[in-house]
Amino acid sequence: MSDKKENRAQIAIEKFIEFTDGEVASFFEACVHCGECAEACHFHLNTGGAKYTPTWKLEPMRRSYERHLAPLSGIKRALGLVPPEVDEAMLTEWEPLVYDSCNMCARCTLVCPMGLDIAGTIRKMREGFSAAGFVPEGLERAADFVRKTTSPMGITLKALTAQVRRVEKETGIEIHIDKRGAEYMATFSSMEVMGYPEVIAAYARLFKRAGVDWTISSKAYEATNVGVQIGSGPFAREIVARVVEAAEELEVKYLISPECGHAYGAVRWAGPNMMGRQFKFEVVHIVELLDRLRREGRIPVGRRDGRRMTLHDPCQIIRRGGLLREPRRLMADSCADFVEMKGAGVTNFCCGGGGGVSANPRAHDLQDAAFDSKQAQLDAIEGLEAVVVPCANCRSVFEDGLEAREMELEVLGLSELLADTLADLEAEDA
Amino acid sequence: MSFLAFVEGPLFYIAAAVFLLGAAWKILGLIRLGRRPDLAPPRGSAAWGFVRGNLRHFVPRGIFTRRTWLHIVAGYSFHIALAVLVFFGAFHIAFIERLTGLSWQALPRWGFIVAAEIAFAGLIVLWVRRISDPVMRQITRAEDHASTILTFLVMLTGCLALQESHASLRAIHMLFVDIWLLYFPFSRLMHAFTFVLSRGHSGATYGRKGINL
Amino acid sequence: MRQRLPFIFSEILPPEARFFAEKSPPPLAGARTARLFALLALLTALIFTLAPAPLLAQSSVRPPGNAVTFPDAPEPGPANTLGTRSDAEIWDMIRGGSPRDPGVIFAPTPEGALMTTTGQQWRVLRERYIRKYAGWAPLAVIVLIALFHLIRGPMRLKEGRSGKTLPRFTLTARVAHWFMAVVFILLAISGLVILLGRVLIAPYLGREVNSALTSAAMQGHNLFGPLFILALFWLFVKFVAGNFFHPHDLKWIFRLGGLFGHHVSSRKFNFGEKTWFWLVVLVGAVIAASGVLMLFPWLTDDLRFLQLATVLHVLGAVLLISIAIGHIYVGTIGMEGSLDSMLKGEVDESWAREHHDIWYEQITGKKAHPETPKMKQEGAP
Ligand code: HEM
Ligand code: HEM
Ligand code: HEM
Ligand code: SF4
Ligand code: SF4
Repeated sequence: MSDKKENRAQIAIEKFIEFTDGEVASFFEACVHCGECAEACHFHLNTGGAKYTPTWKLEPMRRSYERHLAPLSGIKRALGLVPPEVDEAMLTEWEPLVYDSCNMCARCTLVCPMGLDIAGTIRKMREGFSAAGFVPEGLERAADFVRKTTSPMGITLKALTAQVRRVEKETGIEIHIDKRGAEYMATFSSMEVMGYPEVIAAYARLFKRAGVDWTISSKAYEATNVGVQIGSGPFAREIVARVVEAAEELEVKYLISPECGHAYGAVRWAGPNMMGRQFKFEVVHIVELLDRLRREGRIPVGRRDGRRMTLHDPCQIIRRGGLLREPRRLMADSCADFVEMKGAGVTNFCCGGGGGVSANPRAHDLQDAAFDSKQAQLDAIEGLEAVVVPCANCRSVFEDGLEAREMELEVLGLSELLADTLADLEAEDA
Repeated sequence: MSFLAFVEGPLFYIAAAVFLLGAAWKILGLIRLGRRPDLAPPRGSAAWGFVRGNLRHFVPRGIFTRRTWLHIVAGYSFHIALAVLVFFGAFHIAFIERLTGLSWQALPRWGFIVAAEIAFAGLIVLWVRRISDPVMRQITRAEDHASTILTFLVMLTGCLALQESHASLRAIHMLFVDIWLLYFPFSRLMHAFTFVLSRGHSGATYGRKGINL
Repeated sequence: MRQRLPFIFSEILPPEARFFAEKSPPPLAGARTARLFALLALLTALIFTLAPAPLLAQSSVRPPGNAVTFPDAPEPGPANTLGTRSDAEIWDMIRGGSPRDPGVIFAPTPEGALMTTTGQQWRVLRERYIRKYAGWAPLAVIVLIALFHLIRGPMRLKEGRSGKTLPRFTLTARVAHWFMAVVFILLAISGLVILLGRVLIAPYLGREVNSALTSAAMQGHNLFGPLFILALFWLFVKFVAGNFFHPHDLKWIFRLGGLFGHHVSSRKFNFGEKTWFWLVVLVGAVIAASGVLMLFPWLTDDLRFLQLATVLHVLGAVLLISIAIGHIYVGTIGMEGSLDSMLKGEVDESWAREHHDIWYEQITGKKAHPETPKMKQEGAP
């Protein structure tokens, strides 16, 4: 019995060590325990809990590193100065810290004098937790759905096709599934297919206007990656592989990552490393693509939306994705009264639901507490009418948060906003 | 051999050697741990990110300073003043000259005193902040206190010997300097070097994605 | 007729000049001495009356009032030095006035005086009295606290900890407090070495050790002195709100602060804390001002200010050190739950209800004591 227990801790420790490369090691060495990062983390700010200090969340991995891997740790070990071995109790205690209270949003990196990339380290640390079986039930369930249906929300191909047909009827635009040799292959997030089918409609309208040759694959219509959220490399690879193989099979030039933060990170940045090779196509985020098309003049600036609007910065797209200017350019073109939130851009707050938190019901209260920061930002804008949230996950978190606070505010995606500005032109055409 | 001669002579050389070799070993060890190659097509330059990350994190971001100003002020005061004390104190320059033959302009005595005041104020604020806040108490380990207190003692014994009337006081200062050097590579004090790596790694990761944090 | 001779600091007279004094009978209450001490007494009395009675009973630096009976206060003058005039008259000329004449001591520079004897008085006061007795005050406080601790025991939370907390001090306030605490303790240690080294260190560890330690302490003390001024300003700004006295505090005084088991109610700070705050601020200001004067003696030409400064400095320091020991006791082991406010910024609700009930009611809007106050009076350990 106790043997098995030690084994679980042992598995985690081995993974921690495996994933501690020079980058993570230098983080552990450089952290001066100044506590600054707590001031950036919305989980600490809104609960006051000291345990939500970002650097503290890394403690088990740091301990394993100091005990087994750190240069000069041999001398310390001889003197009995290395920290105690990580055990199962510690992993149990940390599991909620690692999964429920970190969105891997990287806001803490901005304030850290030593520049620690806590978010990236949490991602690596989750490898140890998931390998040892310390994963929140909610994420486990989502993973099961993916194994069965390829979608974390259990969306089957039949369900997708039904949605696509409905959209075709609504918009009168034909949408091709599995069109070999198309230039672009679009993917979605489950939330979009299920909850916001208007996004598919927006794609159809925008791409028609821009003359984009696109398709949807029946093998990989979703780009979300629960494997990344759980922190299981092999599983994440499996999911990415499905998308990559589908795209290569259809011989597309571009894979469109949806308005979804972590899907973008998974395919664009982590994907090639998981697959161990570069892709035969280029990955573009839908916002990046729309911006490109707009600048090429293929999507004209239509009638601007006159409502007072602001833009949320999804962490994985902006701070960790590198698409800072693109959404802003599109916003400026598409609405007449665009107001930035306080702290917009790279320093913006996470919605509180990223990094698998929103898929984890246990973390619901924490997520809601973290949304207080967002609420404060929104409240600070006088007369705000709508908020553009270019990430389907953030968007559902917004809707939950706003509803819980009884705030009247429309939430929409960026592609929808853009598609709506085309309404007049479409009417003319028709 | 007098105690002073011992702490200024053999013990100092041993401590300096441990310091240099230990620090080099640690840094090389960290570099040797390597970095996974990144296959994703870059949008920006990792090398420029490395440099930029190193520079950017010197400058506090405005949005956080309402909550962290005290820390920033104390941190910068302490570090800058300490550097001034170490490199521009007349005694230190004399000591370095004896070791290496190099010499440069020293601070006047009043300048030294002012720098010492600032360094002490800064370090005391950093330390008392460490003991009086739940977050700091949570993440502080014994070795953090050890580093701070040892540094404090080096500074203190140095300033206690300012009258330059007793060899024993100078010997005590040197003793703490030696202990500090011996302790350095094994401790949190290594941040004086490792910050380049940690900021650089993050900077490179983000720089490659075309975002300069 | 009184001749005024040029002012000379007595310290520079060679020791031989003092042998005259040997044979003369000691003076009775010299008026000049009396005046000097009346002045000191006035200032320190101000300080002492501010202090809370229970804490102050022990910290008796020798009451300056009885200093008039110095066995070795300045002599009227040596006998029969010049033959024709009385010795006393000649010495009065040299001093620029009779030591019994109150006008002399307060004249900025006694007109026509050849020497002043305040330096002599000052030295005697320092060597025979302050150096000898100052160390006893903190020691007495420690003994009394130890007795109190053993007999009555620390004040425990009657209801135990509730687990719920209330915010009490911000981080900057806490940092300001601890900054002061650290600087104060460093100054107290170095100051006491300067003051007591000769009586406490030299006889046991030898003069060489004492000389080195005193040199070190002087440097350290001079270094941290300016930080004390900074700390004082900061502490004042951060804590002055809530520390103004209020008629309500009278009840606290009558009940001796609840030290002996009566229930006392108070706002954010009780009378004892308020007194401590003002003592730190006012006495601290005196210490700081006198300290600065000693650091930069050229700020004044009048030596009596310097002499007064050293005396005030050390009396103030000993007073604050003594009370600080009490403060530290109450802040740590003396009262369960107190230290939280300075380590975490939050206090347990039980603590707030028991020790600062009105404050508790103000910030929570709840009643502090569901029971009648009468019942609570009995509960002390
Ligand atoms: C030899 C040179 C250095 C020494 C002796 C030194 C010493 C110290 C000490 C003793 C502390 C601890 C303060 C505390 O625990 O509260 C500290 C903290 C810190 N140091 Fe350094 N340091 C050095 C160089 C650097 C450099 C080059 C950097 C710049 C990147 C740096 C950045 C920091 C930061 C950000 C902190 C955190 C402040 C805090 O503790 O709250 N240090 N340093
Ligand atoms: C190192 C030992 C010390 C400890 C453990 C300590 C502890 C405390 C605690 C727990 C409080 C909060 C009381 C409350 O919640 O109402 C406090 C308040 C305070 N302390 Fe200290 N303290 C120490 C040293 C000092 C020193 C050396 C000074 C000044 C010279 C000082 C000045 C004050 C002041 C002004 C307050 C504010 C409360 C008031 O207005 O009276 N403390 N201390
Ligand atoms: C602004 C702050 C201060 C300054 C500038 C200052 C300066 C000085 C100086 C120059 C002396 C040397 C006097 C001599 O030559 O004997 C002295 C003595 C002393 N100081 Fe301070 N001091 C300061 C604060 C304090 C505090 C806060 C304490 C107590 C906690 C303290 C306790 C003492 C004691 C006990 C002595 C020895 C007195 C004597 O030998 O006459 N000082 N101080
Ligand atoms: S990455 Fe974001 S959520 Fe995670 S610890 Fe840092 S600030 Fe908090
Ligand atoms: S801000 Fe950076 S250096 Fe400071 S405690 Fe957090 S992770 Fe460590």
